[in-house]
Amino acid sequence: MRKRTLKRGLTAFWWATLAFLYLPLAVVVLFSFNAANSAASFTGVSLRWYYQLMGNEAILSAFANSLVLAITSSVIALVIGCLIGYGMYRHRHRKLGWLIVLIYLPIVLPDIVFGISEMAFFVQIHRLTGLLQPGLGTMIIAHVTFQIPFVALIIYSRFVGLDPTLFEAAKDLYASPFKRVVHFMLPTIKPALISAFFLSFTLSVDDFVISFFTAGPESATLPIYIWGAIKKGVSPEINAIATLMIGAVAIAAIMSLLFSRRRHA
Amino acid sequence: MNETITADAAAARPRADGAEQGATSRQASAIEMQGLHKRFGRDTVALDGVDLTIEAGEFFTLLGPSGCGKTTLLRILAGLEDADDGRLAIGGRDITEVPPHRRSVNTVFQSYALFPHLSVRENLAFGLKMRGMAAAGRHAKVDEIADFIKLGDLVDRRVDQLSGGQRQRIALARALVCEPDVLLLDEPLSALDAGLRSQLQVELLRVQKRLGMTFVFVTHDQQEAMVMSDRIAVLNGGVIQQVGPPRAVYEHPVNAFVARFMGHDNLYSVTGRQGSRLATALGELIIAEAGEGELLLIRPETLDLLPGEVAGNNHLPAVVAERLYRGSHAEYRLEVGDTTLQATLNNRGRHLPEVGDRVTVTVAPHDLVTLSE
Repeated sequence: MRKRTLKRGLTAFWWATLAFLYLPLAVVVLFSFNAANSAASFTGVSLRWYYQLMGNEAILSAFANSLVLAITSSVIALVIGCLIGYGMYRHRHRKLGWLIVLIYLPIVLPDIVFGISEMAFFVQIHRLTGLLQPGLGTMIIAHVTFQIPFVALIIYSRFVGLDPTLFEAAKDLYASPFKRVVHFMLPTIKPALISAFFLSFTLSVDDFVISFFTAGPESATLPIYIWGAIKKGVSPEINAIATLMIGAVAIAAIMSLLFSRRRHA
Repeated sequence: MNETITADAAAARPRADGAEQGATSRQASAIEMQGLHKRFGRDTVALDGVDLTIEAGEFFTLLGPSGCGKTTLLRILAGLEDADDGRLAIGGRDITEVPPHRRSVNTVFQSYALFPHLSVRENLAFGLKMRGMAAAGRHAKVDEIADFIKLGDLVDRRVDQLSGGQRQRIALARALVCEPDVLLLDEPLSALDAGLRSQLQVELLRVQKRLGMTFVFVTHDQQEAMVMSDRIAVLNGGVIQQVGPPRAVYEHPVNAFVARFMGHDNLYSVTGRQGSRLATALGELIIAEAGEGELLLIRPETLDLLPGEVAGNNHLPAVVAERLYRGSHAEYRLEVGDTTLQATLNNRGRHLPEVGDRVTVTVAPHDLVTLSE
């Protein structure tokens, strides 16, 4: 009997934790469909805030910026991170200690430190050369830098999980270095590549702090727009944007998880 | 005249003729190794001057304990490892500097190394595809080899649906379908259980005889080496100890290492010699060919046991200390004075002495061999 009570208690605790995590999100999602103007009461289901979004040019532009930033930075980070991940795999027997730490440091570095450093760096470069005007370009560079470690880690762990003799079998079966990449390595790590892309994508869409410090006047992303809009109070419109972002990020995260679990495509 | 076809040419050869060439029509190639040295790091010597010629069409085995250099030698043949020094030629062409993907050599790996992202059929066709054969030709070739190795419906399965024995056969077929000048096998049977293993030994041997292809086989199992090989090279410490047919290596090992590795325990120091008479810890023994060696090898299966004490040349009085009855034969540990001696008796309906029995051990002079330490 006592065992059963304990089990029930643990189950209740589990649901309480879930509620703690997801109730705030649920409220945002619910009120994005609210027909009323205020967040005080829920008067009925309506899509009016979503329609209103479609007509708001600042929001549409922020949405486009977020999308361009996320896709471009993820693709660039994928190429660079993939090369680094393979390099780490190839030289895993050497003592790379500090180099590996340097690659991973951005993961644990506070975003605000990272963001300020990037900003100061871009400003200096801009002053000296006239290049790197704050805007989407600088944001892409900044996002790539914090996405690379994640991509490298995912690709590296995929390679480490392979039988090393597969590389030799490919050589043995007449595959030139180029053909080994096209017919063996890329197809073998394809699930990891897709997983890494979606993870980079979510990291980019989520990011506010680093984007905030590296953005230009024309390159506000959705998080930056929300930050600006929220100073005037939480409008139901913000709830609608938040709901859309939750949806997009959830889909990308699930895709990343699904592909990271697949051993082969 | 495939001896004159270089690995490059074989790789680039238009596969139209390859498609017509049956799996059995290929000429085999000889391998020549001269002064191969290989070192890992500063201290580990893997190969210390290997000179070896493997004849065309031979089933040749590299035998030795782990770390003896046999796998390193195989990897150098495959091109997966570079020798620090020495030359390597296959079919009369020096390939020391040729990278693995341009050598007409294929390997059956110990772990099988089947590509997980490909189906069985795609795995089988991989080598042909990399050499630029068209899809139709590949399909026909794969069907041909699947028929030859009797793969049946395995061809249409996924790699992760195969058992160990099935993977082994796919790995063999994937290498054979490329019709290499030489096939290398790196302990291909070591991961399988005993029954399947002996079944695949026979199968592998039949395949090699039918194709007449040069096979270089690596194993640490002397029984397997004796069953399979035309010739065996026994390696230790990166040096070839002995090369010869299984019977020569087993019955006339050149030194104590080879004798022990081939499973012999009855080795005795020769403390004195007078013509064909050798003085040993067992007593005086007459040998047909005295030789120079300071060790005497007595193979257990050459001994016979007579009941009671019988006097005569090469007759040694002994007591049975232990008997292991194995059905087809019995293994004895005998005490001859202070020395022990192993004997194996065939169970041909004869009397098998019991533990504690006094017996006389006899051995024919021509069954005794001397060898050096």
